[in-house]
Amino acid sequence: MIWHITKRELYDNLISLRFALATFLLFGLMLTNAVVYLREHPERMQKYHDDVTEAQNELSTRTHLYDIAVHGPGSLYKKPSVLQFCAEGGDVFLSDRVFGGFLHWQDGNLTGFWSTLYHYPNPDSKNIRPDTIKVDWGFVIGYVLSLIAILFTFDSISGDREHGTLRLTLANAIPRHTVLIGKFLGALVSISVPFTLAVLANLLIISTSSAVQLSTDAWSRLAIIFCIAILYLCLFLALGLLVSSLVQRNAASLVILLLTWVVFVVFMPSTLAPITSGFSKPMGHYEYTQRRSKLHEQLKSEYEARVQNMDAFPSKKMELAGEFVMNDVAQRINLGQEYVSQQHAQIQLMRSVTRISPVAIVQHLFESFAGSGFERHRHFVENVQRYAREYREFVMDMDRSDPDSPHIIGVREGMSQKPVNPESIPIFEDRLSLSHDFNAAAIDLFLLVLFLVVLLSGAYLAFVRIDV
Amino acid sequence: MLKTLIRRELLDNLMTFRFAAAVFIMLLLVVANTAVLIKDHERRLESYNTALKNYHENTQERKTYTSMPLDVARPPNPLSIFNVGLDKRLGNEIWIFHGLVPTLWDARMHGITNPLLKLFASIDIVFIFEVVLSLMALIFAYDALAGERERGTLRLVLTHPVSRGQILLAKYISAMICLLVPLLISLILAVILLTTSTSISLSAGDFFRIGGIILSSVAYLSVFYLVGMLISAATRRTGTALMLAMFVWGFWVLVYPNVILATIASPDTSQASAESAKNQIQQIWEELDRERKKFLANDAVPGGSPRFGIRIESGFNYYEYPIIDSSVLKHTLVSGANILKLHSESEPMVPHAQNYYRYLGPQIIDAAERTWLIRKPALETIFVQPARLDRILLRFSPVGIYDAATQAWAGTDLSGLKDFFTAARKHRRVMIDFYYDKKAFGSRQWFAADKGAVEWESLPQFSFQRSSTQTNAARALPDLLLLLMMNIFLFMFIFLIFIRSEV
Repeated sequence: MIWHITKRELYDNLISLRFALATFLLFGLMLTNAVVYLREHPERMQKYHDDVTEAQNELSTRTHLYDIAVHGPGSLYKKPSVLQFCAEGGDVFLSDRVFGGFLHWQDGNLTGFWSTLYHYPNPDSKNIRPDTIKVDWGFVIGYVLSLIAILFTFDSISGDREHGTLRLTLANAIPRHTVLIGKFLGALVSISVPFTLAVLANLLIISTSSAVQLSTDAWSRLAIIFCIAILYLCLFLALGLLVSSLVQRNAASLVILLLTWVVFVVFMPSTLAPITSGFSKPMGHYEYTQRRSKLHEQLKSEYEARVQNMDAFPSKKMELAGEFVMNDVAQRINLGQEYVSQQHAQIQLMRSVTRISPVAIVQHLFESFAGSGFERHRHFVENVQRYAREYREFVMDMDRSDPDSPHIIGVREGMSQKPVNPESIPIFEDRLSLSHDFNAAAIDLFLLVLFLVVLLSGAYLAFVRIDV
Repeated sequence: MLKTLIRRELLDNLMTFRFAAAVFIMLLLVVANTAVLIKDHERRLESYNTALKNYHENTQERKTYTSMPLDVARPPNPLSIFNVGLDKRLGNEIWIFHGLVPTLWDARMHGITNPLLKLFASIDIVFIFEVVLSLMALIFAYDALAGERERGTLRLVLTHPVSRGQILLAKYISAMICLLVPLLISLILAVILLTTSTSISLSAGDFFRIGGIILSSVAYLSVFYLVGMLISAATRRTGTALMLAMFVWGFWVLVYPNVILATIASPDTSQASAESAKNQIQQIWEELDRERKKFLANDAVPGGSPRFGIRIESGFNYYEYPIIDSSVLKHTLVSGANILKLHSESEPMVPHAQNYYRYLGPQIIDAAERTWLIRKPALETIFVQPARLDRILLRFSPVGIYDAATQAWAGTDLSGLKDFFTAARKHRRVMIDFYYDKKAFGSRQWFAADKGAVEWESLPQFSFQRSSTQTNAARALPDLLLLLMMNIFLFMFIFLIFIRSEV
């Protein structure tokens, strides 16, 4: 019986104007997405490869251990995700690298060791073009598909009631939930058919291009993203059915649905985020640099006081110098980590509050499976920090393995003088794994399902108890 | 007769659920967001004041002409609450230096707490209007004619001696009155909230500008209402009218602005012009460098170094290095020192340094002016022209026109922000005149403060006034006229369709 109702709904929908318009809109958007992606992605990859090769070439020119420790691996680059067409995730605003560098001190022959500096370039401040939302899957699904879902369901029950056909249907021996499920499935199929076709067209263009290779891992991620999109679609269909069965008239149903949509999808994320941002006050960049130089000055004056009458004991002096350099770099690293983690904590809080809006949930999910956006950036920064530790340990190990070295790290004369094989230097490799993403996405996925269950049962209850 | 019709329509509209919902949602969104925006504005104002205080403190420490950079800051625009435009995005702090003509692309940003906050889109009052008002207008309009036709009431009305034009006019006027209610109430509430904030002060000119924003909003609202009415007049059934109206809304408001900007790529010609401009600028500075080296070589002090072997007891060292950012064609040479106490043996070297700076200062100014002549048109082709093209393309949707008009009123559009950089350039000229006045380039204070510090008090203060209301009005006028033209055309079109349609 469900099938009959579904089929009826489907036929009704397929010949309707909204079906034609929705198909047109979805195809247009998905094709735009593919074309833009194919134009931009190869450039992005090229830039990443150029940057990485340059950094590695520079790294391999050094053979002296002290130079290796001071200059370090330079800046470290984030690998762009091949699935960036699914969710762009504000990658324009997130830095594509973590800057690293060393400090020349004006006095004496000491130099600060390499460390990550966490200064974000601000490419946006030179951009005078009007700002827009990137047309990625997240936009197409989050905004457009949800709007289409509402436009397909707002009259599914109230319309039948207005025409009197609902009474007619229920006069047959059909249980109400069958009608509801039938209508739900009908709408679901009639939207997901053009949507799936549009997605396939998009993927066809992208995968046939020679510039982009999608691995099996990427395909499985795409499959997950597609399933999430369908889940999200169901959510809005359920919302539509709920309102439609609660309200007597079509017009009222549409107004309620559109306003709910506008509030939850368009305004909720951008209104809640700034309110939440006020709850935490991370260290600003100015404060960070001030504190950094203050700590350095403090260490330096301590060191100078201790080294003052040490001219007679060169080895002791060297030891103090080494200690100074190492303390300085440790301090800088700690401060940098504090600075970055405060920033990340603020964003994390804002993101968790915006989860009230389903569109934010879906965007987070897409980002985590597409390997872009904030979570990915945080992961990248963690990778960098881990690598920086490895790198320092490598320097220590190399020095320790040389029996001739005085083992005073931080001073040129105190470190191993043996040339280092450039190939043995650890190389930064940025990668993402599916299991990590699953963990990050679990809460979002759970919330999405919860919303769906609540709305579906709400629709069921509302429909069972109404007068026809 | 018209009055009766209007009254009927008005009562019909005012009693509806959609009217109540429209008022409620508008108030909710506008009040909540205005509160957030005011908080944000206060924060920006605070950061501006801190910056000013820092500059003032720097002035106290600035002993020589070249000891410390001289910065000026751009105050946040209070009308950015209505339409933020570029006000928050572009740099708000710029370095005034005789060797660099400041442009928008040399500005920096002070007061950034968390650069990642940009991940969250910020909204302003005009954005709320863009989305909600247009939706409201279409919801009010879609059944204006199709609904009456469906119910048969249109035929009934037309049996009376009323012209069709009158019916249209009545419907238009009454619906606009209904739609103006939420618009005006929410705007008045926003302005009241603004005036309660102690740190934000609005001048009479600002109220005039807000009036301009309201005017543009009404014109925008009317365009969408008329589009809805056109659809309603052209279709037989309300269902069809509704679907068409919703998809038109989705296309114009949601899809078109984002898609059109994504699809157009930046032209390759800008790459070539950037390259040639970069080379020309480089030549200017290389030439300067050659001349500079020649001057040093001809000097009696051996070594050819601008330090002239001067030894310093306190203060910081000499510096001389180029600043280059080829992505924005920035190229200059900074050079100077901050000597608080000289080593007594170095005294005979001082005239050499004075001679050198007397020679170098005007040279650098000249190179900067020549760089600016090349840089200005190059930046125009690389950055401004693509942005201008974008804005023209956006105007194919009423949303784009409305956005441009309100930005122009608020002074947060590109020309409004350029005013600040024009003022900064003017201040640079003032500073150069001050230098010449004080004969700064050949003076000892240029690099050393041991025989008296520079009197910075006589340098006029930098002040930036936003452009006058007339300028704002003139900048907004083309877009406003465009909106009004659209209104007139749409109304004529509806009239023609309605006159010839069967009831």
